[in-house]
Amino acid sequence: MNNHVLEFRNVWKTYHMGDDLVNALAGLDLVLDEGSFTAVMGPSGSGKSTFLHVAGILDTPTMGVCRLNGNETVKLSKKEQARLRRNEIGFIFQRFNLMSQLTSLENVMLPMIDNDSQKAKEILDKIGLHGKYNKRPTQLSGGEQQRVAIARALINNPSIILADEPTGELDTRNANSIMQILRDLNMNEGVTIVVVTHNPVAADFADEIIHMSDGKIVNMASK
Amino acid sequence: MDLYSLAFNNIRRRKLRSILTTLGIIIGVATIVMLLGVTTGVTSAIKDETNKYMYDVVVTPASSTGSYLMDGQTASDIRNRSELYDFREVTVFSEDIKGDRLFFEGTNNWKDVKLKTGTYGVVIYQSVADKYGYSIGSKIKVKNRELTVTGISKDTQSFYVFIDQSYAKQLAGNKVSAIYASTDGDPKTVSEEIERQINGISVETKSEKVNEVQEMTGQALLFTAIIASVALLVGIISVINTMLISVMERTKELGVLKAIGFTNWEIKGSILFESGLLGFSGGIVGVIFGIIGIIGIANVLKLTEYMYGMMPLWLILGVIVGSTLLSVLAGLYPAMRASKLNVVEALRNE
Repeated sequence: MNNHVLEFRNVWKTYHMGDDLVNALAGLDLVLDEGSFTAVMGPSGSGKSTFLHVAGILDTPTMGVCRLNGNETVKLSKKEQARLRRNEIGFIFQRFNLMSQLTSLENVMLPMIDNDSQKAKEILDKIGLHGKYNKRPTQLSGGEQQRVAIARALINNPSIILADEPTGELDTRNANSIMQILRDLNMNEGVTIVVVTHNPVAADFADEIIHMSDGKIVNMASK
Repeated sequence: MDLYSLAFNNIRRRKLRSILTTLGIIIGVATIVMLLGVTTGVTSAIKDETNKYMYDVVVTPASSTGSYLMDGQTASDIRNRSELYDFREVTVFSEDIKGDRLFFEGTNNWKDVKLKTGTYGVVIYQSVADKYGYSIGSKIKVKNRELTVTGISKDTQSFYVFIDQSYAKQLAGNKVSAIYASTDGDPKTVSEEIERQINGISVETKSEKVNEVQEMTGQALLFTAIIASVALLVGIISVINTMLISVMERTKELGVLKAIGFTNWEIKGSILFESGLLGFSGGIVGVIFGIIGIIGIANVLKLTEYMYGMMPLWLILGVIVGSTLLSVLAGLYPAMRASKLNVVEALRNE
């Protein structure tokens, strides 16, 4: 039996927009198993990013149950939620979100729990950034910056990586390269990966593609 | 790499703004150090001077006796009074030397005599040295004895020679000019009682006046501290301003830090650390400028002998600790704002 890394049971997220109520998530049910690679697609406003934020404990659901490795996230204190984000989740953002004042190595080590620079260098080497430890983000290309962001996401050996449009700022060659890194991580190291994307080529690297619309899953296809 | 290194990096990254913010603290701290330092030094000097006169009663020969010296018996009667304690005798007499009147004063408090050169023992004023051509080793003949000058004092205003009180008393035939004493009773009542019971003496109380002077210097110190604190307050307000702007500018960065697992307390701690660091560095530099200012003021006002008294350790440590703590306090509100940021909104911020 597979272990569930992420579990959504009838999850709702409702926003007030003036006098109207908008359901960004409308009773979402989803289970992602350990070692899965899932792409989430859908038009703008379909609830993809909200799903990712709730899954990453950056946002709380209005109703329903979300579990990460068995922990019901809404029942945790703010401190416990932060610890879970640090230990169990790796985030990759569309715009990399690296600290401009820090070097690649420092950026990777920023969330690190055990401050092991050797480990950080090994991860940078593995994703093709050997010798660029002391480069600042402004000295790196977009593709390289996203690799640093991936290394930062991996540094605490998370059980899941959540990537929000990781190829959105990259050209086709770099986009494919980034997706291949994620694919390799999934295949070789069994890291569970969720990628939110508009890009069908990027989504094609995943084992499972979910289509969302109006806060619900409208289609789920496995390869 | 931790958030504290990141905070340090943030200060380095925004050098000009950090320098300008710190400048406010530097000016405030330097002003406090200079104003309080100079006032403390001068106050301490005044207290030292006035402490000489800290007595409850002073007994001198009554003017009706036509003498400025009391005989040994009268002095002994006074010292035997049970309501008096902590006695200090002073004998002053004068001699005509080379046609001019030279005063000889007995002292037990040699530290009150400001030596210019030589040692204590027989110390003459500079004015005496100039007038009589005396120097260290010169002999002064007084009451059939010969005194050898051992030191020269800085004073130039009158013609005095200081010798040990016991020797002055001996030279004056066991007589004293004044007896200073403390009393547990009401000085006024005690003085009247002594005057009534011992003939040929006059008893005065003077401590009240001295107390007033010391109280005034204390008030001057407090007033200066208040004025100087306003200067520091301006610096602290600039820390609040800078940290608020910094938090607003770094909204996205703070959102990322939260997203990658830093707790609200860690975020708060890094903001407080950053503002405290501004206060600490401003405090250190401010103290250095303050000390330079004190050296300048002491030289201009010719108060160099009190210069070290103007830089008490409590003041230097106090302003550094104070500016750091106040800056940490100034960072509280920005830190609260930073920790309460909504992560999703912060990540959308550009």
